Amino acid sequence: MLWVDKYRPKSLDKVLVHEDIAQNLKKLVTEQDCPHLLFYGPSGSGKKTLIMALLRQMFGAGAEKVKVENKNWKVDAGSRTIDLELTTLSSTNHVELNPSDAGFQDRYVVQEIIKEMAKNRPIDTKGKKTFKVLVLNEVDKLSREAQHSLRRTMEKYSASCRLILCCDSSSKVTEAVRSRCLNIRVNAPKEDQIVKVLEFIGKKEGLQLPPGFAARIAEKSGRSLRRAILSFETCRVKQYPFTNNQVIPPMDWEEYVCEIAADIMKEQSPKRLFQVRGKLYELLVNCIPPEVILKRLLLELLKKLDSELKHEVCHWAAYYEHRMRLGQKAIFHIEAFVAKFMSIYKGFLIATFG
Amino acid sequence: MEMETEMDMPMPDELEWLEADLQHHEDYLDEDIEPPLPEEEASYIEEVYEVLQPEPIVKPSLPILEKVQPKKRFRPLSPNLLDLTNADNSVEDKRCKVDDSSAIDADDDWLRYSPPPKDESVVIVEEEEKETFISRYLTDIEGDFMPVTAPDGNRVYAKLVKEEKNEKLKKLNVKAPSKGLMLEPISVLMQRAEEDALQKALQASVSSEIDANLVGTPVVSERLWVDKYSPNSFMELLSDEHTNREVLLWLKQWDSSVFGSELKSTTDDVLSALKRHSTVSQHKKVTSRSSFGWNKDSVYNNNTFKEEKSDSHSIQEHFNKIRESGPPEQKILLLCGAPGLGKTTLAHVAARHCGYRVVEINASDDRSSSSIEDKILDVVQMNSVTGDSRPKCLVIDEIDGALGDGKGAVDVILKMVSSNKKSESGTEAEESGKKKKKKDTSLLRPVICICNDLYAPALRQLRQVAKVHVFVQPTVNRIVSRLKFICNKEGMRTSSIALTALAEYTECDIRSCLNTLQFLNGKKEILNVLDISSQVVGRKDTSKSIFDVWKEVFQKKRLKGVRKSTNISKSTFNEFDSLHSLISNCGNYDLMLDGVHENILHLNYHDPVMKKTVTCLHNLEVFDMFHQYIMRTQKMSLMVYEPAIAISIHNLVSQHEKPNIQWPKSFHRYRTTLIEKVESLHTWHNKITPSISRHISTKSFVEDLVSPLLHILSPPTLKPVALHLLTEREKNEMAQLVKTMVSYAITYRNKKIDPLLPGNKLKNEVAIDTPVLSFDPPIAEFVNFEGYSCNYFILALAVKQVLCHEIENQKILQSSINKSMHENDGKYFAGKETVKEKLIKPMEKVNILKNPSVSKPTPVNTITMVPKPSETTKKRSTAPFNFFEKFKRVSVNGSQLTQTVKKVSVTMERDSRPVLFKYNEGFTNAVKRPVRMHEFFL
Repeated sequence: MLWVDKYRPKSLDKVLVHEDIAQNLKKLVTEQDCPHLLFYGPSGSGKKTLIMALLRQMFGAGAEKVKVENKNWKVDAGSRTIDLELTTLSSTNHVELNPSDAGFQDRYVVQEIIKEMAKNRPIDTKGKKTFKVLVLNEVDKLSREAQHSLRRTMEKYSASCRLILCCDSSSKVTEAVRSRCLNIRVNAPKEDQIVKVLEFIGKKEGLQLPPGFAARIAEKSGRSLRRAILSFETCRVKQYPFTNNQVIPPMDWEEYVCEIAADIMKEQSPKRLFQVRGKLYELLVNCIPPEVILKRLLLELLKKLDSELKHEVCHWAAYYEHRMRLGQKAIFHIEAFVAKFMSIYKGFLIATFG
Repeated sequence: MEMETEMDMPMPDELEWLEADLQHHEDYLDEDIEPPLPEEEASYIEEVYEVLQPEPIVKPSLPILEKVQPKKRFRPLSPNLLDLTNADNSVEDKRCKVDDSSAIDADDDWLRYSPPPKDESVVIVEEEEKETFISRYLTDIEGDFMPVTAPDGNRVYAKLVKEEKNEKLKKLNVKAPSKGLMLEPISVLMQRAEEDALQKALQASVSSEIDANLVGTPVVSERLWVDKYSPNSFMELLSDEHTNREVLLWLKQWDSSVFGSELKSTTDDVLSALKRHSTVSQHKKVTSRSSFGWNKDSVYNNNTFKEEKSDSHSIQEHFNKIRESGPPEQKILLLCGAPGLGKTTLAHVAARHCGYRVVEINASDDRSSSSIEDKILDVVQMNSVTGDSRPKCLVIDEIDGALGDGKGAVDVILKMVSSNKKSESGTEAEESGKKKKKKDTSLLRPVICICNDLYAPALRQLRQVAKVHVFVQPTVNRIVSRLKFICNKEGMRTSSIALTALAEYTECDIRSCLNTLQFLNGKKEILNVLDISSQVVGRKDTSKSIFDVWKEVFQKKRLKGVRKSTNISKSTFNEFDSLHSLISNCGNYDLMLDGVHENILHLNYHDPVMKKTVTCLHNLEVFDMFHQYIMRTQKMSLMVYEPAIAISIHNLVSQHEKPNIQWPKSFHRYRTTLIEKVESLHTWHNKITPSISRHISTKSFVEDLVSPLLHILSPPTLKPVALHLLTEREKNEMAQLVKTMVSYAITYRNKKIDPLLPGNKLKNEVAIDTPVLSFDPPIAEFVNFEGYSCNYFILALAVKQVLCHEIENQKILQSSINKSMHENDGKYFAGKETVKEKLIKPMEKVNILKNPSVSKPTPVNTITMVPKPSETTKKRSTAPFNFFEKFKRVSVNGSQLTQTVKKVSVTMERDSRPVLFKYNEGFTNAVKRPVRMHEFFL
């Protein structure tokens, strides 16, 4: 097992990073009935870990016995029937699913499947909990219609079912859904928190950490705990007695973005833009989300940029990211950003050096 | 009262009669000719009617006679009869005369170059009188007129009427061939010429009137000009001369097989035909005079028809002499070209010219394969016995529109062609002679297919077997001269400049030209150049290929120097307009802008600070958002604004030079590979142990996980030595690694080396036989960016193999642990297993004894062991299909593995479990059934 999984806190008590949230959750579950919950925060901050620990707190160790089911559903949608395939993770007391996998048909998942699940009371009545839990991942990717159909379900079946929603950003979750949940913001852990975790792991593994090494990893991780632990393990595999100036292996795609940024800085012309396009396609093909690419690219470019241009470039990056979310073909928008940057940068070069 | 009714009654009676008779005749005629009778008939009846109407004085006598006669005939018979015979005698000689003259009259009337003589009425009167006489007379010569029986009562008048009818018949007889066969007898041609002259003279007089007052021109013509002036003869065709000839030649090549042995020597026939042409008119008169009886006349009909037929044959044979005989190699002719160039017309005219009867199947017909097969077979293989005996020529129009069910036509034809080829290869010599007798489904008649788009997917196969002719635009001059001719005929005033402009504007689409002209004529407007450019007149809804659209977007039109200086604003407006219509006709905006995006960066536009590029991409972005919005909200009406985006790009980047346009494949490739990769990620995600997979989303896989995972999975510290040589710590590390790989469902497997890829080729040369092991979910692919080299430590092959086996073992172990956890459920198996275990144990001990060397393997040894492990991995790689198979396969592997494991390392744990099998508890919905242990050792 990777360290990420090995040292994942199993219960709310053992949580190292978001202790305050964990304590609040524990109180919530033990003292009173649990409301619907909405966890949101950047990836690698520990939302899922918290949710799992919460489930364990609710249902005991049984919550960890899960099985994967790949079910085909037939949904009757007026004139036609729709076949949906959905993977669910379930234990006796909870079901975990990712409704946005159904793509544009997610509405039916919410309307039919989730409703169906929510309606049924848990069979196991031995436990003190009289409700089951539905964990929905990536709620922010749900279409508006799906979210709208979700809100009635949340009210109607609240007696027998609690929903735990999980997403990166709450801005894409409609107001109506948000207001029906207890919103829990899970921040990205601070660097010193990450260092704490890494040191904890190091101690458990019996490793000698040179001073400042954990801090370096934490800094490179971009405040993602998962990434920090992974790169920590990578370092361990690469070279054990750690040295202070040891190379922390970068993410390959980030390296690639770095190359792209260097290309852009070197030459600004339609031809170069065409080459950049090819590389962008490479990244997109390998399932890297376009927003992430754009953000990373901006960061890489900013590193090499004159400070007086930084503000403008940031502005345009935000502008194009917004448009990208409105549109569908991400490549158009990333490319447009690159072109805009090239134009600005070239103008700047001409102005300064003549 | 009686009188009154009698006064009127006979009239319709008579007409009914005539009609019945005509019908009767028609039946006979049908055999010979198939001319459009109805008109003729109607006019004829009218004629008779007219003729009868003006004689109120005479009529009374006629009906009375009519009425009286039957009575007389059947009851009293003799007394009155005598009287009538007398009367008849007196008119007897007269009758012959009238007969003659009426025949001539009728002829003249049909030819329409002289008005009917004034005295006709008189003649007719006499005729009517005669009728009565004849009817009376009938009793004597009844035998002659037998076939004629009146519909109501047994009136015997028929005789005279029939004579009249016979004349009519003759007329038809003359006319029919002229309609049906292209090579008219000279007499007809001459008549036509005279007719033309008359028409011209008439028109001249009329046109002078028109000149006097333009407003006075009445638009009488109800037919479309397109139909009215469609070419009837081969010489009139407007399409390209060369194509015409080719088509004709091709058709002529069929002659030997279609008309075959019926042909006679050419010169004789031609001569006789020529002779006959000169004497036809005389001939007619003679026959008309001589033929009093129905029978004779019909014989004549047959004769003439035969003559006609042989006549047509003679020319074909003449042609044949030039060409060598035998059906053409390609049995199908495929004509393609833009609409309005005259493809259909050419097919019809050429086929008729060669003596075929054209049978057309077009898009409006039912074209499902079942229904069309009979139809085509009927046309192509049978020779009709009763009807028009001219061979049929099949014209399938608009074949490219044949999609779905309509594809049947293409399939049927292809089938026939292929069967034809088969039989031909066998007995080619025989073929030509005996073709008609054969009953197989081969093509015996020419088939002409017509399409607009040669490269329509439905035609792919047809294109290979058919003789293809691409229509080119006829020259503007030809079109203009033809248009001029028609305009003159219609009395429309035009200038040749305007006509030329019109022809250019419609891209030589004669149909559209004519429709435009007729439209303008109908509005009583005069065509001028301004009309064409400003009005939306004669505009064709042309949809061009997407490549043309891209070309238009990227290429600036060269403006003509004259116009440029005068009104730039107008020309830009025109450009906008034309581009807009072009793009909107194309329709697929999404693809169109993908193409723009693909190609835009290759253009050579002047752009120092990339301002233009930015604006262009900005426009593309706008399009993307716009399109997305439309699709999401389904507000399709907003689509109209999409072409404007392309036009703005055109204004920015269009160049004069010709762009090199690529199909937008990169975006589509991106889409397809992305789907593929996401799919593989999903399957991987589902395979991973749920307690881990629940924490990762597919998004974060590549973003966070893959790179570190690749590092972690191939630690450089792992030495390629046998397991027992490792230190305790290293062993632990190894176990850790194996556990990780199992929990992440990653393993190594034999990678199929693709020799097509150059990179692999190199590797292949280096080590041709060594199996290449790579990660099973190909996770390394996710960071394998083009032009990027990732620096991972790659484990030695031997280590990989060891790992691979360890993973298998681990998997089996885990499942057995699972099993032991569910011991209660699986007691049945457990009991059996223990029995077998005892049996197996000694066998394995023998195994160990046999291979003592393995227990101390050197690195070299591990490499030599390669084939066996790879064998097992291969076996694993073949995915089991059903549950039971999987069950067996796994267990087989398990048993094999235990053996190979011995060779690598024998741990205590495994010693205690010599037989391992995987039992998938609970998660499948397959049927559980008791299995005997020996079944596991197959």
